[in-house]
This record gives sequence, structure tokens and C-alpha cells, in this order.
Amino acid sequence: MAAPIRILTAVPICDGHDSAINTINLEFIRHGIEVIYLGYHRSVGDIVRAAIQEDVRAIGISSYNGGHVEFFAEVLSQLRKRGANYIKVFGGGGGTITHDDAVAMKRKGVDTIFFAGTSLMEMTDYVRKHYGKPRKRTAAKLSDMELARKLTEIEEAYAKGKRRPAKQIRNPQSAIRNSNVIGFTGPGGAGKTTLIDELVLRFLSHDPKGRIAILSHDPSVIGEGALLGDRATMINSQDDRVFMRSMATRGQAGGLSPATHDCLALLAQSNFDYVIIETVGTGQEAMPFQQNGIVGETVLVMNPDYGSRLQLQKIVMLDLADIVVVNKSDLQRARTAHTEIEQRLGQNRRGQRLIDTVAKRHRDPGVDQLFALIAGNLSRRVGMTADLSC
Amino acid sequence: MSKLGQVVEAVEKYNGFVLNQVKRARSDEKFGRELSDRWTEIKSKTPVTHTPTGLPLPRLALPEIDEPGEIARYLFGEGLPGEFPFLNGAYREMYLEPVREIETGSYGKKTSSDGAKEKASGNGVQRLEEPTRLFSGLMLAEDTNERFHYLTQHQRTHRLSTAFDGPTLYGIDSDADGVFGKIGEGGVAIDTVEDMVRLYDGFDLGSPNFSASMTISGPAPIIMAMYIAAAKRRFGPKVVPKLRGTIQADIFKEVQAQNETIFPIEASLRFLTDMVEFTTHEMPRWYPISISGYHIGEAGSTPVQQAAYTLSNGFAYAEMFAARGIPIDQFGPRLSFFLDCGLDVEYIALARVSRRIWAIGMRDAFGAGPRGQLFKLHTQTSGRSLIAAEFKNNLTRTAAELMLAYMNATNSCHSNSADEPFTTPSEEWIRLAAHGQAILLEESGIFKHTMNMLSGSPGMKAVERAVERAVLDEFREIERLGGVLAAVEDRYQRSQIQNAAHRYEEQIYEGTRPIIGLNRYRNGSDDIPEVKLARTPRKKQQLQVDRLAKFKKKNAEKAKRALDKLVDVVERGENCFPTLIEAVEVCSLGQITGRLQEVVGRFRPMV
Repeated sequence: MAAPIRILTAVPICDGHDSAINTINLEFIRHGIEVIYLGYHRSVGDIVRAAIQEDVRAIGISSYNGGHVEFFAEVLSQLRKRGANYIKVFGGGGGTITHDDAVAMKRKGVDTIFFAGTSLMEMTDYVRKHYGKPRKRTAAKLSDMELARKLTEIEEAYAKGKRRPAKQIRNPQSAIRNSNVIGFTGPGGAGKTTLIDELVLRFLSHDPKGRIAILSHDPSVIGEGALLGDRATMINSQDDRVFMRSMATRGQAGGLSPATHDCLALLAQSNFDYVIIETVGTGQEAMPFQQNGIVGETVLVMNPDYGSRLQLQKIVMLDLADIVVVNKSDLQRARTAHTEIEQRLGQNRRGQRLIDTVAKRHRDPGVDQLFALIAGNLSRRVGMTADLSC
Repeated sequence: MSKLGQVVEAVEKYNGFVLNQVKRARSDEKFGRELSDRWTEIKSKTPVTHTPTGLPLPRLALPEIDEPGEIARYLFGEGLPGEFPFLNGAYREMYLEPVREIETGSYGKKTSSDGAKEKASGNGVQRLEEPTRLFSGLMLAEDTNERFHYLTQHQRTHRLSTAFDGPTLYGIDSDADGVFGKIGEGGVAIDTVEDMVRLYDGFDLGSPNFSASMTISGPAPIIMAMYIAAAKRRFGPKVVPKLRGTIQADIFKEVQAQNETIFPIEASLRFLTDMVEFTTHEMPRWYPISISGYHIGEAGSTPVQQAAYTLSNGFAYAEMFAARGIPIDQFGPRLSFFLDCGLDVEYIALARVSRRIWAIGMRDAFGAGPRGQLFKLHTQTSGRSLIAAEFKNNLTRTAAELMLAYMNATNSCHSNSADEPFTTPSEEWIRLAAHGQAILLEESGIFKHTMNMLSGSPGMKAVERAVERAVLDEFREIERLGGVLAAVEDRYQRSQIQNAAHRYEEQIYEGTRPIIGLNRYRNGSDDIPEVKLARTPRKKQQLQVDRLAKFKKKNAEKAKRALDKLVDVVERGENCFPTLIEAVEVCSLGQITGRLQEVVGRFRPMV
């Protein structure tokens, strides 16, 4: 089976009209397309960087606030500058983009503009027809681009049911220790994405030259595509020093994708200071990361509303995680949660750490504490080796 | 229980009170007689007016009732125009011609320059200003200024409504990365206080006949500070208490629907409250917030959702301002509302019901005095209802919406131009839109002779009851989620709106929601008509960038000090608005936004 088409969608800078794109995204994924949604009010730089890192076949831009001729042209020009003009651009803007504008935009390299009244079916058909097959591309000019393409090859190999494309991974146990790999997991809605983005902000300002990779997961809709929307809320992670890749689980249960292990191994060898992996929202029995695997430090992010105390006994990750975070600790139930989880961890006698955070709050002291802990733990860990099981 | 829960209780209690009064009027003979006497008196004192054909008509239309219970139901349940609970209107008279013939209509040959004379014309206080307020903003400040002068050339009063371009709405400068093409598109580009001076050049900002409305929310406190600073530059510090106008500054609806939020919600609300505290004390004629359902409606909400979220946002603001210690009777009268008016049947009574709920809630849950109970409303016809296909039909759509808006006794109104689906409105279509209002209010006899002309039909009453019930149900749900702020953070309103928008699109697609010229009676040609587009020339965009560079260069040193001082005040938790007014003298919008974001963070979008 061919791998799903991956495209990126976004709304331009200074434009908050996301109603149309929200509807279109849903239609795309219903027809098997994986959509990386970047959100609204996004700059040309953010769009082009994301498109290259995610290695999408095309970028769909929904523009309702004017200035589209210049904006689309700038996206194309920056793609060209980075040698990424194999990534195609299409868009729409209801009645705000006139036919004359569309002619001018197409002249500059835009594939097509959908006008008001275009049915969702027509758009989906267009995307499947024009972006259904991978395009021939010239050699990658940038290391991010090369990395992005290798990740695609791994994903596509798994989609075709082949074995792992071993050549992508240059074996070496030794290379892994270049990066500190941190795994984040926990139930959906606990705030993992926000927490990671807040940590990224701290990583970036703490180490002015450091680079981070993020491997983020969202579930595939059964038999359909996936909406990969983490970038839309990860405002601090849209940065040249952050390499982010969004992956769909493509039918695998447990919070990760069949290709995750190899992708993570590749990232871990790619000279990032930190590699962060985020699972989809997981259930009680999930244990997405193996002990002594590539993931060095595991963080379980909990919501204070986990139900009764008895539920805690069933959460496997509470035994395995190095750090447990109770996020949303401004909620009324957070104190109870802290006490109960503390007792539960006490039974393990493993020195697991428990931290309360309010990730949505700017400069939250809990997140500061978590960052200090992770940065401290990891600097101790450098030098250890791990085998390649994830 | 949050204040919203108390509002629900208050409305339920008031409805119970009305029913009791009805029963009492029927059982308590003395009370019944009092009511009948009052009713007779109201009727006998109603002046008679004459239509141009000579037909005599009462200036206030009342239902044909003489039974005390029904009189009680009317007087307590609806109220006369201008009387609690204000179902029929926040004020008396409203659109009526003064008893004495007016010398010139607002579109007459000559403008009457004498505002003071008209002010003296008895109880027709609201008659002073035309309800027409047209939204405008394009290119650079001087271009919008020219448009303002064009729009107001025949008006007795100058009521300007300002649209800002994308970079301004998002609090960034015209020199920011990748925004060049957006400069002056969809609104006017404002980067500095110097732009603000140019924007209202030639208008007397301190005059009682002038008011400015600014449609901006995310960076509203900064833009407001620029307006004050610009006014001071032109007219000196004494002008500040005289400034009249409105700034939108509605953060909740941005998060719920419009996506122009630049700081995290709590920081945004704090800056807003700082501004409201300042204007309430120093600028008693200013409306520092326009609680807006328009964008909620435009984002695709149902009419009931629009009313429910707008009202509940309003109550949440009132609760917040009161918590800051601003007296309710000072800020209450300075709250105003902005609703969308589309073609769905709910719009027959949406604003009427909203006015009633607001009055009861403010009086009984907040203890506001009479002036703080008024739901002062600006309406705009629905932009979403306009479509590009066979676009001249938009004139009819807007006309029908205008009719609904005035049936709801809106205090002011903007009618959309038919060419809006594809461009910033051009002068030809703006003129038609404005004249649509004049035809309805001045040329036709529908609204100018008699108050209540179209109020109270059985259908309207049925819609009122259904809408009120549905709005209270929404309130209960928000209350259950922990109040407005908790519900907003939980994305409740946002999800509901998106869901409704999706359903609306599906209905159009399936044809169950007829859109003439699109999914019904389509003539086959879909061409966007030949209209002259108002695009900002590159030369102008470059001019704006150059001006900004000059401003930044000139003030580089002072800007640094001003920003440090601002941050200091913000960190200390003091009211930062006065410092903001100082800062805009030497800092650009983007410089201030950027620096504040370092301190309070950036808004994280909700997807």
C-alpha cells in the first residue's frame, strides 16, 4: 500500500480566518491524506521551514486577509532559495482572491487557486491527483532537508510493509549518545504538547547554540488520514534551531507509529543536543518506551483528573517513568492528585521525581523546575550507551 | 455560583415576578385599576403625528389591550421603549423625526452646522446623531482620513469607524518579516502615534459632535494609548476628558472566534482592565469595550450562540471590572455591544431579547443603576451572508438585514457593501449601502413616524420566548463549566461555534439552506464581477515602512528607556495604562507588543 499523501496547511501571517481551513482539513483526512496543520497567523519562514522538515508534497494556504499575491510569491521564493521547490503550493481565499490575482499567482508558480464555490470534493480530488505520487527531487541542499527525506523513506518503507530500511541507520550504538533523548507520554489532554513547547523555550534560551529535534505523534483516523496539529500550538518550537517532525500512528496502537523506532534512532544520531519524543495520548496500560532503549529519560504527564485513587494502581507508566508531572496544577483537584501520586511513587522506591506544573502559564516555576531537573539529569547521563531497542 | 448563574436566576425570578403581577392585576382590584389608569394615561398622552399624506398616527404604537393582566404582562414583561426591561428599546424616540420638522435630513442639501440647536429639541436626545456609522479603513492613515472626510461630508455628526490592517490587528509593525503585502490591506496601517495623528486629521476630536470607533482588540490598550497621545499632541492635555468614542477591546470573542489575540488570556484581560480603569476615571465619555457578537456570528455561530456568548462575555467583564474596584455605576454605562444581523429568523428578536436579559442581569445580579442596565447596541449586517456569485443580490440581503436590525431598535448600524465578498468596499457600493439606511429610515415611513411600529407580532413574540430559553440554557452550560473564563480556556464556545459553522456549510452544500444564485436559481456563470479593487500600491506600503524606520531611528534611545519603564510597571502589577500613554510617544506598536510578550508571554492558539 502506498504511504498516505502528506501536505501542510496554514493561514498566512496577520490572518485569523481559520474556519475554511478547518473544514477543508477534516475533508482531506477523511480521504486518507495526512495534514500537518500549522495554524493561523503564520509567517512565510514558519511555513517553509515546517514544509521542509515535514517533507510534505505540497503546501495549502488559505488566505482571507489580503496581500496574498505577495505572500504566496514569498513562500515560493523561499522554497526556491532553499532548493525545496519540489514542494508545491496551492491555495484559496473565497472571493478575496480574484481571477486576475490567481493568474498572477500561477505565473509565479502557484499550482492552483480554489475560488469561492469550489466543492470540498474537487479540492480533495485535486490534491490526490496532483500530489499522489512522490516527485523526483534534486540532491538535498540542507542537512535538515536530507534528514527530513530520510525520515520519509523510513515511513514509506514501513507503509509498503517492507522491513526497516537498515541503510538509513548507521548502526552505531556510539552515535546515539550524541543526543539526549527524552520521551513524553501520558493521557490525552494532559498538556504534553504545551509542556514540551515551554521546555523548548527554556532549552533555546539556556543554550544559545543548541539544537533540538521533536518527534511528535498524532493518531491516524481508522482507515483514513490524520490531522497532525501539534505545530499549531507549539509556538516556541517554530524556530530554525528546532527540527520537528509530526508522525501519524498509521494504525498502530500504543502511542507510536510502526516507523517510530527507526525514525527516533536516526534523529538520535543526528547531532541534536536533545531529541524529544511525544506519544499520542495513551491509556493506562501503555508503556511506549522500553527500559534501556533509545529514550534516556521518560516523563509521564498526568492530568489531575484521573478518576479514583484506584485508577493510579493501573497506570503502568507510573512504575516506569523517571519523572512524573502533574500538569494543570492550578485545578482544584491538583493537591489531592499530588498527594496520591506521591504515595504511589513512594511504593516503587526508585527515586522517581514528582513535579507540579501549570504549562499554560508563562514562566511557570514548575516548568522551570522540570527543565532544571531534565537538563541536570541528562548532563549526568551523557556518556552512557544504550542499545537500539526503543 | 458565578455571576452568570446569578443572572440566570435573576431572569427566571423576574419572569416569575411578571407572571405574579399578571395574576395580581387580575385578582387585586386596586392594583388592576391602577394599571388600567396608567395604561389609559399613557395612551392619552401619546402625541399624534401626521404622515406626509396627512394620515394621523400615534407616535407610540401599543397593543390593543384593556384587560389589567395583559397590561401588566406588557408593562412589566416588555416595558415601553426606554423603560425596564427595555425589550422594545433602550431609549424612546430613537428613529423618529422630531415633532418639529427637521430642517435638513442627514442627506439633505446643506448640513446644519449648529449641533447645539438640535440638542435643545426636548426629549429627542437620541435624535442628535444619525444611527449610520460606516466602517472604513484602507491603505495609509492619510488615505483613510480622506475616506472619512468623504463619508461624513453630508453628516451633521461625525461618527467614524476605523478598520485596521492585519499587522496592526496583530500588534506587529509594518517592517516585520513577511507582512509587506499586508500593509494597508483590509484596513489602515498604524505603527506609531504619528500615523494616529494623520488618521483623524481635520476632525475636532474634542467636539461633542465627533466620535471615533476603533475596531481592534488584541493590541487595543496600545492603540487606545496612541489615540490619547495623538489627541494630546493636537489639542493639548485638556482634550482627554472630552474624547468620545469606542474601542472594541473584546478579548473573549477573539479567543472564541476571531483569533486576533496576542497575549495570553489572563495578561490580555489585565491590560484591558488597566485601560478600562483609566478611561472610566479620566475619559467619562469613552466606551472602552465593545462586547462583540459580530465576529462570533461571522465565524459561523448560530444566532442564539452569538447572543449567549456575547451576553455572558459581557457579564464576565462586568464581574472582572467590579473585582478591580471600579464602581459598577461608573463603568456599567460605558459598556456597549456589537451584534451581527443575518437572515435567520432568530434575528427578528435577537437584540430585543439580549437587551432584556442584560437589563435584568445588570440590575438584579450586579445591582447596577438605570444607566448601567442599558444594552447599547451597534449592529452590522452579516458579511458572511454576502456571496460573490451574482453579487448584486447582496443589496437585497443587506436591505432585509437592515430591516431586521431596525426592528430590533439598534442604536447604530453599519450596512455592508455588496462588493465585500471580494474586496475592501469601493465608494460606489459604500454609497449604496449607506443610502440603503437612509431609504429605510428617512425616505420610507416605516420607522420615522411611530415607535414600536413593528414590535410585538405573534411571530416575534414566539421567537423572543424561544431565543430567551435557548440563551439561558447556554448560560447554564457555561456556568456548569465553571464560568466564562473556564469555559473559554476549555474551548467550549470555540468548539460550539466551529461545529455550527461546519453544519452551516454542509447545509449550503446539500442545498437545505438555499443561497440564491449559489445553490438555487444559479445562472451558471460564476465570474467574479468587474469591480475596481482597492489594493494598496507597493509605493505606499514602502512609504509606511520608511516612515516607521525614521520614527524608530529618531526615538531609538528614548524608546529603550520607555520600554524598560513599562516593563517595570507591568512586573510590579500596577496599572500600566498611564505608562503606556507615555511609551507610545517614542515606541512603535510592534516594539511595545514584542517587549510585553517577553514579560507575559505570547498567546498560544487553540486548535
